[in-house]
Amino acid sequence: MNNSESEYRLEMNGISKSFGIVSVLQDVNLKVKHGEIHALIGENGAGKSTLMKILSGVHQKDNGQVFLNGEEIAPKNTHEGQLLGISVVYQELSLVNDLSVAENIYLHKLGANKFWMNWKKITKDAGDLIKSLGFDINPAARVRDLSIVQKQVVEIAKALSEDTKILVLDEPTTVFDPTDTQKLFDNLLRLKKEGVSIIYISHHLEEIFKIADTVTVLKDGVDTGSKAVSETDTDEVIRMMIGRELKDLYPVRNVEISKEPIFSVENLTAKDTLVNNVSFSVRAGEVLGIAGLGGSGRTETAKLIFGADKKKSGTVTLGGEELNITCPAKAVKHSIGFVSEDRKEEGVFLPLSIGRNISITNFKPISNKFGFIFSEKEKANVIGLIDKLSIKTPSGKVVVKNLSGGNQQKVALAKWLSIDSKVIIIDEPTRGVDVGAKVEIYNLINEVAKKGVGVIVISSDMPEIMGISDRILVMHKGTIFGELPKEEFSEENILRYSIGKSLKSLMFH
Amino acid sequence: MALTIKSQLSSPGGILKFLIKYNTIFIFVLLVVFSAMISDVFFTSINLSNLLKQVSGIGIISIGMLIVILTGGIDLSVGSLVALLAVIFAILINIVVLPVAISLTIVIGFLLGSVSGYLVAYQKMAPFIATLALMTIARGLGFIYSKGSPITFKTPGGEFMADFANNSFLGIPNIAIIFILIVVIAQVLLHYNVFGRLIIAIGSNEEASRLSGIKVNKYKFLVYAISGALAATAAIIVASRTNLGSPNMGMAWELDAIAAVVIGGASLNGGKGSAINTLMGVLILGLIGNILNLLNVPSYPQQVVKGAIIVFAVLLQRFEDK
Ligand SMILES: Nc1ncnc2c1ncn2[C@@H]1O[C@H](COP(=O)(O)OP(=O)(O)OP(=O)(O)O)[C@@H](O)[C@H]1O
Ligand SMILES: [Mg+2]
Repeated sequence: MNNSESEYRLEMNGISKSFGIVSVLQDVNLKVKHGEIHALIGENGAGKSTLMKILSGVHQKDNGQVFLNGEEIAPKNTHEGQLLGISVVYQELSLVNDLSVAENIYLHKLGANKFWMNWKKITKDAGDLIKSLGFDINPAARVRDLSIVQKQVVEIAKALSEDTKILVLDEPTTVFDPTDTQKLFDNLLRLKKEGVSIIYISHHLEEIFKIADTVTVLKDGVDTGSKAVSETDTDEVIRMMIGRELKDLYPVRNVEISKEPIFSVENLTAKDTLVNNVSFSVRAGEVLGIAGLGGSGRTETAKLIFGADKKKSGTVTLGGEELNITCPAKAVKHSIGFVSEDRKEEGVFLPLSIGRNISITNFKPISNKFGFIFSEKEKANVIGLIDKLSIKTPSGKVVVKNLSGGNQQKVALAKWLSIDSKVIIIDEPTRGVDVGAKVEIYNLINEVAKKGVGVIVISSDMPEIMGISDRILVMHKGTIFGELPKEEFSEENILRYSIGKSLKSLMFH
Repeated sequence: MALTIKSQLSSPGGILKFLIKYNTIFIFVLLVVFSAMISDVFFTSINLSNLLKQVSGIGIISIGMLIVILTGGIDLSVGSLVALLAVIFAILINIVVLPVAISLTIVIGFLLGSVSGYLVAYQKMAPFIATLALMTIARGLGFIYSKGSPITFKTPGGEFMADFANNSFLGIPNIAIIFILIVVIAQVLLHYNVFGRLIIAIGSNEEASRLSGIKVNKYKFLVYAISGALAATAAIIVASRTNLGSPNMGMAWELDAIAAVVIGGASLNGGKGSAINTLMGVLILGLIGNILNLLNVPSYPQQVVKGAIIVFAVLLQRFEDK
């Protein structure tokens, strides 16, 4: 392939797009070769997802040209995109909750040309496909009953269920633990060998250096250039992304941690989930990390404490007082907060404005005793938080649906971090958030801890959980398998506990 | 911030966008102008005051319907509740003093609505089913209590109510004033009060609401109970206008109420809608009926036109979402 026509499988030239009065992409170029893994990175709201949605036919470009194998294309909808061989794993899950895994995977084929569906075969095929990717999910299960990690696997399987020439993955690993991520990478490298062109979007820069060949950076809707991954490094990429140097990703926290625990749970066992005999405590001002593999029961533990799941036995104590939490409303009343990892289904109100999202957890300071809201106070509060978390938006009136994924995450956080809680559980705090904004979120967590709050952070992001925790608990099979003090933080130790093995250095204790 | 903000006015579709955004008001104004043009009688005070009186009953239950729909539910029982409660009011007014009759009717309405509320919120029954059951039960009870025929007001209290319902204050029919008052209260509660914020939140994402610490069940229960109380208010008004309570009242009103709410731009999925727009929806429906009556169009073609307008209104809203 030496003529310039076909050097690239995909060429996007001079792409511009605006939504109403907001211009999102200006004259963006993206060139992807055959069998290449091409990373696309940029801050939250830079326009990465929008560019990919133009490629796949969700959105239509205002200006510019797209060439696939030298031929101009302009898919008007995702179906046309699929027929051209463009498969996309979107940033937000888009599965049908009430259908089975198999039905979801082959949804686009339903009613294609055959009148009758061979359900047995489809279910078997779906099972085989998932297995061939290295995962294990019952293809007959209803998607509603899956964990968010499993849902993400189904999304990926769905994208790979047909002949793909261009595979787009928009932040596929935000809910994955390291082993899941590795499985995904093995698959991507295999596809790459088969000649598939892969566009990979992620805020985890180490992933990009691990698998990508080329990286293109978007900044505020303009591409600031492409580089061969071998010829660049993290610092340069960050500079291209955010336009400045980034010093400390994990800012130090000067917090006096109390001696006595502020919050503790003992032998907590769930009625309907795998969580069993969970005991731990957190002190005021402490950031307690909970690590573990997907499916180890971290999220379920959080939901159990928060009253969203049913308890079978065990006690929860806050400030010396035993609590009987039967529903989230009671948890909130006792000043316990919970940020869900599933922001679309459980975290934000997509059709409502940023302001309404933020205010929902805390009307007290902005309303009188009859519940009438002081709009000035509310506005000031909202603007303050937009500023603090640098949520990229023209105003607090914008509906959350129209924000980029990372900015939605900031909204989900804002509504909890702004209120006075005693204990806050944050499940995947920086899911989909860019490096610059991560620092702001860590700063905010520090600020919260400084107020004497017990902060519990669940994260699959190893560097993150080691970077911000004072102590790490590792879960395995629904219970706390091990605890790591700061001196013993290492990926290896966390992983060993995660798979139910003891530490190598255990003799020293 | 690098967002390039072009001037809204310079954008070519600016006026069109404006019309789409305020489409309910736009349709309303269009209908008024049209009506005034084709009929001399339309702008007479008698006609307008009749129109207002006619829509007030349905208007009041539409507000109840709106708050139920905002939570993502639906209340099919309101029409039958109007019948049953009108009968109950007529019975009560003949045996107890007026203030007691009024309060008791409203309390009974609240309790009847609570039945749906309980089934939906605490028994997780589908709103459609729970309120459908109550709809049949209420209609049946109406016939049982009235023994199938209308019950007339026989007391001075009844006379007072009949006077009240047919008189005006400063040219506006009293019952329309009550309707408007309810709209204003609903609008204020929905937009400036925590109550409204919470039920809209529940309608737009129930799980996120629960995890935000909102007592979802309590509010879901409450909206049906309020809808029942509003049905009682409507029942008192329509019974008073005719001086009697009949089990045939409010026939299919639940459908008109749903139509009014939807024309007013609310989403049946919940989370979107406003009281003022529902008022517009009610007036639009009323206007269509009124103008077709003035033109002597028989009632069956009227239904066809009504249906077409509903489709048209909802299609317009499609653009708004884009
Ligand atoms: N449907 C829409 N209507 C209006 N604005 C939108 C819409 N979709 C996206 N935007 C805006 O376009 C900009 C780019 O969004 P996009 O989702 O492409 O960002 P992103 O680079 O994928 O960010 P993230 O890393 O947070 O996912 C954002 O400012 C967002 O608010
Ligand atoms: Mg995105």
